[in-house]
Amino acid sequence: MPGSLILVDLSTNLGRRQFANPVFVASGTFGYGFEVERLADISKLGAIVTKSVTLEPRTGNPPPRIVETTGGMINSIGLANVGVERYISDYLPQLQGGGADFIMNIAGSTSDEYLKVLEKVEAISTDIAGYEINISCPNVSEGGMEFGVSADQTARLTRRLRKRTERLLIMKLSPNVTDITAIGLAAQDNGADAVSAINTLVGMSIDINSQRPDIYRTLGGLSGPAIKPVGIASVYKLARKLSIPIIGIGGITSAEDVIEYTLAGASAVQIGTANFRDPACGINIINDLRSRLEDSNIDRYQSLIGQVKTYQ
Amino acid sequence: MKQIDALIVANRQLAHQIWQMELAAPDLADDITGPGQFIEILISASWEKPLRRPMSIAGYTDGKLTIIYKIFGPSSHQLSQRAAGDYLSIMGPLGNTFTINNQLFPILIGGGVGLAPVWWLHRKLEAAGTAHALILGARSGEEHFIESQPDKNILLTTDDGSAGIAGTVLVPLPAILANNPNSMVFSCGPEPMLRAIQEFTADKQLPAQLSVESYMACGLGICQGCAIKTDGARNKPFSLVCTDGPVFDAGELDFG
Ligand SMILES: Cc1cc2nc3c(=O)[nH]c(=O)nc-3n(C[C@H](O)[C@H](O)[C@H](O)COP(=O)(O)O)c2cc1C
Ligand code: FES
Repeated sequence: MPGSLILVDLSTNLGRRQFANPVFVASGTFGYGFEVERLADISKLGAIVTKSVTLEPRTGNPPPRIVETTGGMINSIGLANVGVERYISDYLPQLQGGGADFIMNIAGSTSDEYLKVLEKVEAISTDIAGYEINISCPNVSEGGMEFGVSADQTARLTRRLRKRTERLLIMKLSPNVTDITAIGLAAQDNGADAVSAINTLVGMSIDINSQRPDIYRTLGGLSGPAIKPVGIASVYKLARKLSIPIIGIGGITSAEDVIEYTLAGASAVQIGTANFRDPACGINIINDLRSRLEDSNIDRYQSLIGQVKTYQ
Repeated sequence: MKQIDALIVANRQLAHQIWQMELAAPDLADDITGPGQFIEILISASWEKPLRRPMSIAGYTDGKLTIIYKIFGPSSHQLSQRAAGDYLSIMGPLGNTFTINNQLFPILIGGGVGLAPVWWLHRKLEAAGTAHALILGARSGEEHFIESQPDKNILLTTDDGSAGIAGTVLVPLPAILANNPNSMVFSCGPEPMLRAIQEFTADKQLPAQLSVESYMACGLGICQGCAIKTDGARNKPFSLVCTDGPVFDAGELDFG
């Protein structure tokens, strides 16, 4: 019957945790969530991944910190954040009231630092859904990315964190490596429930008049639609080797992009740079995704995961 | 603060490479607080340029919001091609405002692209009948869109001397100050100009508020991308132009 309504099931699973839909917002691009409450009904989002939090507050890198590039942007924020104490005292209470599932993103320069942040949150009572571990930030001189480029370090860090939480544990991977699947396997084999990919790609641009880099620290992280094919390829490669779910990130601006990531092997996605242009885009993408699946008579989002039909 | 598709009521050239656009934005009325505030404009639906452009508000009356912009690249050129009757996606109003001190004579200084907030402040003071001075600077006369009226303390400067006073916006300042020793400066414009005003006002111990610009991604205090150096003011080494500013006390700013 034309126009018949099928009820689309958008829910998805990561580890033992179910989410109402697969559209999350990415760390560093949605603040702590409530900043955009005036512009969008954040409770509709699959989940909010909050800005990377470190043990101590960080003021970040000197400006200029961002520049727009063709189809993207380069940033070198340097993990400016309020630190775990204030995250717990000022931000968690607001997040709990927001109605959306939320995931805390943690960064650190030593594995002890990651651990201490996680332990502080585990020590309190909170309905946080889980942790995303940022081992892939290109914008700090110490730590951060060093974990994400070494399978051994990733293995050790994942193992230590796993022992201290029952909650969803996601390792966020860097594309700035020779073989992303080696890092992904290290995370999986040491207890991660999921991996997310990708963080930003190392990028650089130069003002040819002043002959200075556009970013104070010269190199930064490239994000936005320009990196989507790299994100898709990373998810695809991971999906072929890993059995745990993958969260696809990189350049998503539409429901079509969500489907593309899903076909490549993602069980959920995160929207980053597109939030800056339209903080409500996540909500629109969820609605579009529902209509698209309805129109194609697909009643379960999860039935699309990894369904890409390769030539060989 | 809202995100709306605003109807373009008018879009016309005021002077060489200087344009003015009028937008119907009655929904923003409740949040409009005054000169300094800005909006984030989505220039094009294409993702070639993913980010919005911050643009100072140059006026707001009867639900109509004005911006004044200078053509200096593809994005501002694209904006000038938009016709009345089209819609433009805007987010705002964002940011803080200039704060007039009733005890002090306001000297308003605007230059280049940074003219908008100063223009709005001028119009508001004019409407309120508050005595003040306005200095607008440009490279040459063709970039000016008003006539100078020295009797009303409205002065123009040009780098090339083709109109008004030859030289920078600092040239007419001493004469104004001689008549109004208890003054306060309000300014917006290119960084070299702001730097010069910062030095001048520090030297003369004049209070001054400067509205600064920076690249922005979110405009909402989320991305931390618009940070500028504030030399420990407000107890932090960096401040966010979008939420701590764009207006700062001159002494807080560290132009490096
Ligand atoms: C301004 C900015 C700040 C970011 N901050 C963080 C962060 O604190 N932690 C993190 O894990 N990723 C951070 N990211 C990376 C994003 O979460 C995301 O992985 C990346 O931008 C790719 O997605 P996109 O192309 O949709 O933006 C940041 C990205 C941007 C643009
Ligand atoms: S523009 Fe994002 S914090 Fe100011």
